[in-house]
Amino acid sequence: MILPYALCSVNFRLLLPVPLGAATMDATLRKGFLLLTATVVGSYPKLPAQAGAPNLRTALARLERGQITAEEFQRTEDLVTEVVIKEQVQAGVGLISDGQIRWEDGQTYFARRIGGFSINGLIRYFNNNTYFRQPAVTGKLGWQGPIGVRDFLFAKERSPVPVKAVITGPYTLARLSQDQAYHNLRTLVLDLAEVLNQEAIALQRSGATFIQFDEPAILKWKGDFALFEEACRRLTRGLTAKTALYLYFWDIGELYPDLFHLPFQAYGLDFVSGEANYQIVKEFPSDKELGLGILDGRNTRLEPVEELVEGVRRMSSVVSLDRMYVSPSCGLEFLPRDRANQKLVRLVEGVKKAREALS
Amino acid sequence: MTKGLLTTAVGSYPKPDYLTQARNRLARREIGQEELRELERKATEEWVRFQEEIGMDILVDGEMYRGDMVTYFSENMEGWAISGLVRSYGNRYYRKPVATGPVRRKGPITLEWWRYTQGLTKKPVKGMLTGPYTMADWSFNEHYPTREAFVLDLARAVHEEALDLEKAGARYIQIDEPAVSTRPEEMELAVKALGIVTKGLSAYTITHICYGDFAAVFDGLLRLPVDNLDLEMTNSNYNLLGLFRERKGKLKKDLSMGVLDVHSHLIETVDQVKKGIRLGLEVFAPERLYIDPDCGLKTREVEEAKAKLRVMATAVREVKQELGIE
Repeated sequence: MILPYALCSVNFRLLLPVPLGAATMDATLRKGFLLLTATVVGSYPKLPAQAGAPNLRTALARLERGQITAEEFQRTEDLVTEVVIKEQVQAGVGLISDGQIRWEDGQTYFARRIGGFSINGLIRYFNNNTYFRQPAVTGKLGWQGPIGVRDFLFAKERSPVPVKAVITGPYTLARLSQDQAYHNLRTLVLDLAEVLNQEAIALQRSGATFIQFDEPAILKWKGDFALFEEACRRLTRGLTAKTALYLYFWDIGELYPDLFHLPFQAYGLDFVSGEANYQIVKEFPSDKELGLGILDGRNTRLEPVEELVEGVRRMSSVVSLDRMYVSPSCGLEFLPRDRANQKLVRLVEGVKKAREALS
Repeated sequence: MTKGLLTTAVGSYPKPDYLTQARNRLARREIGQEELRELERKATEEWVRFQEEIGMDILVDGEMYRGDMVTYFSENMEGWAISGLVRSYGNRYYRKPVATGPVRRKGPITLEWWRYTQGLTKKPVKGMLTGPYTMADWSFNEHYPTREAFVLDLARAVHEEALDLEKAGARYIQIDEPAVSTRPEEMELAVKALGIVTKGLSAYTITHICYGDFAAVFDGLLRLPVDNLDLEMTNSNYNLLGLFRERKGKLKKDLSMGVLDVHSHLIETVDQVKKGIRLGLEVFAPERLYIDPDCGLKTREVEEAKAKLRVMATAVREVKQELGIE
């Protein structure tokens, strides 16, 4: 493992392979042997809780003022990503993300590297008090080369546990964009599905064994499910890696049970903002896996361990523990860093307790 | 006062440079609270004079002493803490209020500033409050078991504040609820909460709402228990008026119509604004149509904000002359 920035304060010992190495874990995951895997949905707070740690806010301000180069800025992104990987591993998360430290937001990260997009002004991100720059579709969309491969490999090389690759799905990306070229949601979504399929294939070639597609928008516009289904088939074509569909901010409502017949092996649902999912998901296909988003990713309240165990218990009659993931309800970037970290620690405590209590 | 097409503002104005610098100096502890307060009073008076100069009908204090619209209230109440930094967008971060206990007023929050501002002018000054639904939605909640309990406790606190303003003589009270349009599924809660806030008030009540998919929540908006709905219009090219037009004749509320884009550096022309006002007049009688900017102007430069407001004032004056309602 090459660790060029080993002089900084990151404790790299924690990043070295642990006895249960990455390859073994990957194989284990794919066979679904583990009882209850603790995972994350994706994003993580970019700023450190303490002064003195690598700080992206300062670095970005300096980049914008021309005081540092793009390479120096990327070095800060790398350092922060290493810290974020370490925090997840140290907490005991079994399947991590790279924290999406380099993502301006879930849309821009992809749109700025896909041909046919430009980036517009700020708009509100669903029902959150956060904003993103709205992509504008200005021409025929085309994949121009890998978007997240370098970042995936960076994380994979530094993590002793498997890293999920995350892609914002075609429906959500299309819905959150301003269409100035297609004037047709269906062709726009389907073209984006082709583009993002190429991205997923590239990630798979680079070694991704778990590829997650985030599609919160389909929960807001459930009437588009037929189109969504068509897009998902194109999106997952040729993929042999494990694929997951993550849906958050709402419950799945009337998408049950058709949702679970889409071509994904795993589904991640929000059981906090979508608490009704506990009642809605009465049955679940026995060959698929379910991710329970039971820690509130949008509120600082730290859930008691018993509450997490209870969440797992409620769904354990529907899905066996070897096919269950437990995670926050959505990305953790809505929280301050120290609380996000505490949530991860609590998540793992909950998973351990649930394993003891229920297996 | 004139009959109809009354002009007002949504709440915030840009802070002059000397005040922004003073706020930074206070943060670095180079000046004291009283020194800052003095400059806030000065800036408030300058905005009052400007609003009088352009002939605005219902004035605001411009919120020279506020930072964030939720944090300002939480900092002046019981039961709140403040979080570590969370990202708003790009490289912008802020600290979010956290409810850690029952949220209550310790005493009047905005009253002193309202009294000070009203003391500067004979024109009515609006009482400006952040609504309970928005306060809850834009905060973390570590105390209440449900969002409803949180929102309703806040509603009672905001109601007390509204009563105090009314007792002090406020004839107009605005309760901002920008968050209600983002969660149609919680509209009933927002209606109930605002009902608690405005219960028994004789002052004229207004609520400002922005950002959302208004069509999805429009029926709910019409049920919000206030006299006046304040909505952004230039943002949608006045398309929003279509929703009102469909219900023409059945509308019980008055409309405050935003005619200035607060997100753009471009200064509207008098003709653009007049055209907007005439569109509004197709649906609302002049005495039920109020004219203001789309939203708070605090993100604009002082001179941009003033230029925009002058255009608005001129446009309204010309339309009134044309209609003979001066």
